[in-house]
Amino acid sequence: MAEPGRYLYAVSRGLEPGALAATRGLDDARLDLVEKDGLVAVVSDVDLDVYGEEGLRSHLEDLAWLERVARGHDEVVQAVAASAPTAPLRLATICLDDDGVRSRLREWHEPLRQALDRVEGRREWSVKAYTGRPADAPAQDAQAAPVTGGAGAAYLRRKRSQTDERRAAEEQAVEAASAVHAALAAASVASRLLAAQDPRLTGHEGTMTLNGAYLVAADDAEAFVAEAERQAADHPDLQVEVNGPWPPYSFATLDQP
Amino acid sequence: MTQSPDAAGSSQPVAAPRPYNPPTSRSQPPQPANLADILERVLDKGIIIAGDIRVNLLDIELLTIKIRLLVASVDKAEEMGIDWWRNDPMLSSREEGLTEENRRLQARIEELEAGSSGDSSDG
Repeated sequence: MAEPGRYLYAVSRGLEPGALAATRGLDDARLDLVEKDGLVAVVSDVDLDVYGEEGLRSHLEDLAWLERVARGHDEVVQAVAASAPTAPLRLATICLDDDGVRSRLREWHEPLRQALDRVEGRREWSVKAYTGRPADAPAQDAQAAPVTGGAGAAYLRRKRSQTDERRAAEEQAVEAASAVHAALAAASVASRLLAAQDPRLTGHEGTMTLNGAYLVAADDAEAFVAEAERQAADHPDLQVEVNGPWPPYSFATLDQP
Repeated sequence: MTQSPDAAGSSQPVAAPRPYNPPTSRSQPPQPANLADILERVLDKGIIIAGDIRVNLLDIELLTIKIRLLVASVDKAEEMGIDWWRNDPMLSSREEGLTEENRRLQARIEELEAGSSGDSSDG
């Protein structure tokens, strides 16, 4: 390793020393805890040839590299969140040394403390809803075309009614997704709507109509999942997918001091 | 705002987080934390504290384009009237940043054009 820097994964408090014994950082580096005034940053050494400003700029353009770092980052954050309140840091937060880390903890002490208060004892759940597959509609094709007009007119009519039906189905799906979100928001401490994801990544053919993040008390997780299942049952036109618990990525935010 | 103090007591080891897929997610095999889920969280959410290494993720043009392609199926969703993330301060702040940059660049262009047209007033 040329010159090492300190990569920050998350800020926590009350993290027991052994909690991360089984977890390794990026590039299999050892994880260290840097403490300041009751806050602890989880860090590891990274090579500044790779994680310096220039190195990052070029490496981040490489999706395979980015995926590896994103998963490595998340793995550490998950491990921290499994044992103590956790404020995940955004990818590629890097200081030159531990003094740099400590000065950040000092500078941001109060907002970090507040962020940890907000997420303590709580986890993030992801709930997504998809519209069903694009209708195959064999039944409709089999329908006898009305006799009036020629084959062309019949074709256009059929096309139009298919378009209308699809649009109505989409509107319905959006409404259903809003209803699901409202119910889940009521069953959680806080909620955020994230941007819909591309089908190429999700592997779903239907359109994502809901990509919600919900902050839920650890004790209420079962009730929340049960509510999500109830919503799924109430909206058979939607495919509902529940994932979690996540570390509170979407809810650990800093109030600007 | 502060959570009840029982959180300190409840810090006994919790089971490691695992992907959860209830029976309601039909037909598709469970996907343990897909890439889009991770990227949208580690790149777009989480605490932003400037370190010593200054890299603005949004400055990385190719990355931004790729991530947008991968994470947000914006066109299709907007077509359907799903545009609520526009109101997400985290996401819209990025857009404001771009708008601001755009404004700066336009002002600069006007400035340059004004300068050159002043010189070369051809008849």
